[in-house]
Amino acid sequence: MRFLVYAILAAAGTVLQTAWLTYLPLGGGIADPLLPIIMTVGLLHGSEEGAVVGAGIGLLHDVMSGSPLGLGMAAGVCVGFAAGLGERSLSFESAWLPALGGAMLTVLGAAVSMTAAHLVGLAQAPFADAVRAVLGSACYNGVIAVPIFHGLRRLDAAAVGLYERSRA
Amino acid sequence: MFPSPALVRRRLLIWSLLCILALVILTAQMHSPDGRRIGWLGTAVEAVLAPPAVALARVSGVFTGAWGFITEIGTLRTANQRLTGEVARLREENARLRPDAQENARLRALLGFKQQLPYRSLAARVVGRDPSQWFSTVLVDRGASEGVQRDDPVITSDGVVGHVVEAVGSAARVLLVADPRSAVSVVLDRSREVGVAVGQGQTLLKVTYLSRDADVRPGDLVLTSGLGPIYPRGLPVGTVVSVSRTTMFQEAVIRPTSDLGHLEDVLIVLRGGAR
Repeated sequence: MRFLVYAILAAAGTVLQTAWLTYLPLGGGIADPLLPIIMTVGLLHGSEEGAVVGAGIGLLHDVMSGSPLGLGMAAGVCVGFAAGLGERSLSFESAWLPALGGAMLTVLGAAVSMTAAHLVGLAQAPFADAVRAVLGSACYNGVIAVPIFHGLRRLDAAAVGLYERSRA
Repeated sequence: MFPSPALVRRRLLIWSLLCILALVILTAQMHSPDGRRIGWLGTAVEAVLAPPAVALARVSGVFTGAWGFITEIGTLRTANQRLTGEVARLREENARLRPDAQENARLRALLGFKQQLPYRSLAARVVGRDPSQWFSTVLVDRGASEGVQRDDPVITSDGVVGHVVEAVGSAARVLLVADPRSAVSVVLDRSREVGVAVGQGQTLLKVTYLSRDADVRPGDLVLTSGLGPIYPRGLPVGTVVSVSRTTMFQEAVIRPTSDLGHLEDVLIVLRGGAR
């Protein structure tokens, strides 16, 4: 049930990003609604689930974005895993958690993606341009992560409750 | 509070396996043409998600218009005052130029670029862009159902844009010449020197493998050579901006003749030869 919800949200986020969000850049950066989804799954359910869901969503992003397959997947795995490290140690009620988490994980995802691209010999944009674009995306994702985190947290709790009631 | 060592080991194992899997997929992609092969499952996913993306993009004009209005509201008052003065001047100019404009429109329709092409072509609208920032592909609203195939060249009236790398029912993905995975066989119009134009993931392209003693100057027009399997010969690719020498060759940085950053309408040259 939960994974179906994640899949639907990821598909909707991918379509939204491809069709709309790429036309609304901020400081050279583009919003990525998939990253807050991966972050939320990692924070709520731990590193294992975060990494697995991050891999799936990253691969979906690669298919729909035109990037070489595997780049987004590598970034998603690391973002989900890193978010999961805060599963038990962070306060979910903190207003800053999703915003800071979204921004920091954006930087992590971009670093992983660029490193993986260098490893397979893909040319990249100049470093200064890359840093500017990543910082723009980090700010953007920090903002959109707040509603996505709280919305998905409620949705997740409802899905878990529904599953447990059906088993009872 | 802290997870057991066994749990930590299991988590690290899963993370490592997934990272290795991602790198294996990525490395395998690099061996395929265009650095991308999504397979039947990826094609199926794209076939399902491309139509809603196309539908969303069709109404994005309204959305982006509203966004532009919000972001530019501060400058509207000043612009309004300036424009009011200009309206009067332009009305007078418009009345004077109208006959010329009508004649121009008729001639353009008559000699439209589409008609000049010796190949069958299909007009398409750009409905989506690659959000990854580092790679350059666009999604267009024509696909396999209209006869679009992989490797069909995509152009504008200004020159080469790229080529189709995936075509599903009603949409196709175009790899732009600016993408690092793109390589186009080109010839310099003036000196007939042959080279390869490769994308660099940014606005400008690089032409490599030009012989060291070739006469290459800024401003030279670069055309497709027709030697590669995709592009017909004679299509403009760009103009030379600067030239540098390596130990064995010369390299030229060129600016694409097509405005790749603001593509809206393109022509897909359909394979199947001349019309």
